[in-house]
Amino acid sequence: MSYLNKTTISMVINNENYDDLNVEIRQHLGDFLRDLGFKGTHLGCEQGACGACNVLVDGESVRSCLMLAVQANGKKITTVEGLTSSEMEIVKDCFVKNNAMQCGFCSSGMLMTTYEIIKSKRKHSREEIREMISGNYCRCTGYQAIVDAVEDSLNKINVAV
Amino acid sequence: MKSPAFSYYQAKDLADAINIKKTDDDAVILAGGQSLLPTLNMRLSNPSVLIDIGSINELKEIKVEDSYLIMGAMCSHSQIMNNKEVNEKLPILNKILSQVAHPAIRNKGTHGGSIAYGDPAAELPAFAVLVNAEIILSGSDGERIVSAKEFYKGLFETAINSDEILTSVKYSINQNDTKLFFDEVTRRHGDYAMAGLVGSIKQNNKINEEINLVFFGTGDRPNEAPKTCEYLLKNEYNYSETKNILKNDIDFASDISSSSDMKAHLSAILVGRMMKELN
Repeated sequence: MSYLNKTTISMVINNENYDDLNVEIRQHLGDFLRDLGFKGTHLGCEQGACGACNVLVDGESVRSCLMLAVQANGKKITTVEGLTSSEMEIVKDCFVKNNAMQCGFCSSGMLMTTYEIIKSKRKHSREEIREMISGNYCRCTGYQAIVDAVEDSLNKINVAV
Repeated sequence: MKSPAFSYYQAKDLADAINIKKTDDDAVILAGGQSLLPTLNMRLSNPSVLIDIGSINELKEIKVEDSYLIMGAMCSHSQIMNNKEVNEKLPILNKILSQVAHPAIRNKGTHGGSIAYGDPAAELPAFAVLVNAEIILSGSDGERIVSAKEFYKGLFETAINSDEILTSVKYSINQNDTKLFFDEVTRRHGDYAMAGLVGSIKQNNKINEEINLVFFGTGDRPNEAPKTCEYLLKNEYNYSETKNILKNDIDFASDISSSSDMKAHLSAILVGRMMKELN
C-alpha cells in the first residue's frame, strides 16, 4: 500500500485564517509554526519534557513538538504572539515586574501554562502553581520568581474582572 | 530530533481504521501521540503510516452502565479528571492522573493510548490490573474482551492482535467495601515513577480480608505481588520482611534512576504507607 508523505492543510492561527498550506506529514506543529514565522514558539527538547513549545490548540495547552502539523488541520492555534487578551497583558506585566524571566527561552511555554491557570478562574496555592508549571523547564530563575508572577497575576486579574 | 518519513491516514470511523490496520503490518494507531511522537522524534520507531483515530467521536465518550464506568479509548486524561461522574464513582483516578505527566500532555494523552502502550512505568496499566478492568478490543472479526490481568504479556507487549484496536476500558464501580491506594516515588513531579504502587484492601469488621498490590516502574509490566499480599494478611507490616518477600514476588529490574535493590526498597516503603493509610 502506498501513501502520501505530503499534504495540504488549513488552520486558524492567532485569529487569522491560513489556507492551503503545504506540509510534510512528519513535521510537528512546532516546526511548522516556526517555519510560518511564529518564532515565539521555542523548541527545546522535542520529546515533551521541557514545555518550551507549548501552544494552545482550540484553547487547550499542548506540546507542539508532540503533535503533527497535519493533526492541527482545521483547528484554532494560539501562539505566544496571539496571547493579547487584557488578562494576558496583565500576566505579561506581572512576569516583567517579578523578574520571572531571564533568557526568555521558557517564557512562551510558561505563559501558555499560566493561561490554563487563569482560565480555571480559581485561586491557586503556591504549591498548586508549582504543580501546574512542573511541566515547564526554566534554567535561569529557580522558579521562585515565576511562582511570584503567576500568584501576582491571579491576584490582579481577580481584582480586574 | 526529527521524525523519519511516514504517512498519515485520518480514519473516518472504527471500521475504516481496522481495515487499514489489517492490510498493513507497519501501520500504527495514533491516539493522543504523547508517547508515540517522542519515539518518532527520537527515531525509535519507524511506522509506514499513522492511523489517526482522533476524529472518531464514539471513542471519546465516558459512560456509566449498570455498575460499570466505561472509558472510551480516546478520552483525554484532562477530560477524565474533569468528569463529574468519574470523580464521584472512581475518585482514585483523579489522584492517579494528577501524577501522569503535566497539564499540556494530559490535554492530549488518552486513556486507551496509555493502556494499549503498556509502559511498565506508567500508572494506568497498573491500575487496570489492580481492579482487573475489562479491555475491549475491536477487530475485523468483531469485538472481544480481555481482562487486564491477561492483557500485559511482557515489555510493551499486550494481547492486542495486529488487526485490532483498543476501543474502551470498563471499570467496575460496585466496590464499596474495598479501599484503594495510590502512591509513587518520582525524581520530579510528573516524571515516570522510580517505583509506584496501586493497592486495595477489602475489610470486614475492620479485619483485612483481601489485599491486592500492583507495582509499576519495577519490571517489564505491571507487577502483582501475591506472596506479599498473603504475608500482609497474616502479619503486621514490617519493612525488612516486606522487602524480602517482595523480592520473591517480583524480579525487580534496574533502570537509569535506580538499582533493583533500590526499587525493592521503595516498593517496601510504599507498602508501609498503604498499610498505614488504609488501616
